[in-house]
Amino acid sequence: MTLAYLVIFASFLLFGLSVVLALAWALSNGQMKNFERGATAIFDPDEPIGIATDSFPSTRWHAERFEGPLNE
Amino acid sequence: MSEMTAPAVHAAADRQVFARQRAAIDASARLPVLGFFAGAVFWLLVGTALALLASIKLHNPEFLDSAPWLTFGRVRPAHLNTMAYGWASQAGLGVLLWLMARLARAELCHTRLLIVSVAVWNVGMLAGTIGILAGESTSIEWLEFPPFAPPFFAIAFALIAVSAMVTFRNRRECHVYVTQWYLIGAVFWFPWLYTAANLLLLYTPVSGVSQASINWWYAHNVLGLWLTPIGLGAVYYLLPKVLGRPIYSYQLSLLGFWSLALFYNWAGVHHLIGGPLPAWLITLSIVGSGMMVIPVITVAINHHMTVVGNFRQLRYSPTLRFIVFGAMSYTVVSVQGALQSLRTVNEVTHFTHYTVAHAHLGVYAFFTMIMFGSIYYIVPRLTGWEWASGRLISFHFWTTAVGVALYFLALTFGGWWQGLEMNNADVPFLTIVQKTLPYLRARSAAGLLMAAGHLAFAVLFTLNLLHFGERRSGPTLFVERPQEADLALTVEPAGS
Repeated sequence: MTLAYLVIFASFLLFGLSVVLALAWALSNGQMKNFERGATAIFDPDEPIGIATDSFPSTRWHAERFEGPLNE
Repeated sequence: MSEMTAPAVHAAADRQVFARQRAAIDASARLPVLGFFAGAVFWLLVGTALALLASIKLHNPEFLDSAPWLTFGRVRPAHLNTMAYGWASQAGLGVLLWLMARLARAELCHTRLLIVSVAVWNVGMLAGTIGILAGESTSIEWLEFPPFAPPFFAIAFALIAVSAMVTFRNRRECHVYVTQWYLIGAVFWFPWLYTAANLLLLYTPVSGVSQASINWWYAHNVLGLWLTPIGLGAVYYLLPKVLGRPIYSYQLSLLGFWSLALFYNWAGVHHLIGGPLPAWLITLSIVGSGMMVIPVITVAINHHMTVVGNFRQLRYSPTLRFIVFGAMSYTVVSVQGALQSLRTVNEVTHFTHYTVAHAHLGVYAFFTMIMFGSIYYIVPRLTGWEWASGRLISFHFWTTAVGVALYFLALTFGGWWQGLEMNNADVPFLTIVQKTLPYLRARSAAGLLMAAGHLAFAVLFTLNLLHFGERRSGPTLFVERPQEADLALTVEPAGS
């Protein structure tokens, strides 16, 4: 039982410490600066802003509007 | 912000580099992620069958009552655990690993370890479920698996965490996107919660009411610190990707993450309002529940404002339709949860079907619908094969959406009325039980609808794995590309 309490207490400390360290790292690493760049980090030249990347397959709308493979 | 508003024109060579990078990442994630999804779909069907059985038994107690393993006391916890760890957690793990690799712009690491973890996780599921049905349940809600099962999940999760964190360490993208914060949170929080709760409840059990407080600290956090971060993380990635539009306010999204990290952990003990616990402990959890309004509102504003102007896209995109439904449900379930934690409300709703409706609004209408949407987006990119039928996806959406709405409304109204009556000492208990029957029958009807949707989903998933139907030219990654002018998307962030 004492061991269990020790494990829990140590994990509380480690957990709290890891959150503080994560936040400190994020601040020092510039993760909290330039939010505009952050918001667009998931886009790239092949899937840029303004291009939808999903659609209902097999609908007439889909068939009429979707172009062929990029490398053709 | 003007440079963000028009679709940028890039050289074909540039595009190819990124397309190939994405294809390589998807190839690395293929086996483990599809393995987790396959396990998830299997346990979704098992959990659905157990759910229907449990639901029918509440209004027809004699239904299949001859075998002990089919009695309500075993079927109900088996349903909860197969859904929580078999379906929700495995679907979440698949989505988490794929998102982690995509956002790091790095191939998924240690995929062989991940394949082992898929096997270990599912062996644990099978052993645990058989254990519950054999009558070995621990009777601790959300941790009913017998003590021989949790080590399987702990080992599997250790392997998964190693892969996820090494992939993160190898990242090529220097910015840690908000989704990654949520995913890293989930990777750290879940093993901590799970091992601490198992250690203190199953292996070296604490005594008295401490058991109940640890039980509900754990059970509530499974939703809030394990499923919620994965669900919200997926929305923060898929919503902008599907719409081709950055998130409305990136600052708000980070505020939402850090406030969730700060407040959610305190909320679980509100499940024990009225119980023999120190009043300060319960009051503290009520305050924590109330504070949750902050992350919920930030998320709700962000999601809504990102979609504003593009709601007609819901007609076309299966992913968008499911995740928007899930994101809206998140707002409703969270605000409802905060209100429900107030003592005056809880006096009525506690020990009624109202709580069951709330739980399904969270794990099903919010999390499960987001997982469906995510799987519709991810799987074609892994298999290189499109979904067999848009109509069947539509059937899946409407059966599950109408099903869970009916489920929620029936049990919410029935449960509230049940609570009011139970607080009235003049009404005999049996009269109340009899009057809940119509609501319970409505629940079974809703369950049948959802079960039909799950079958359609399982058929679609299997057909996709088998590459059923006509092959489309080129990989899914390239085929799924709308003509920009035809789509006429509103790309300018609403806040700019």
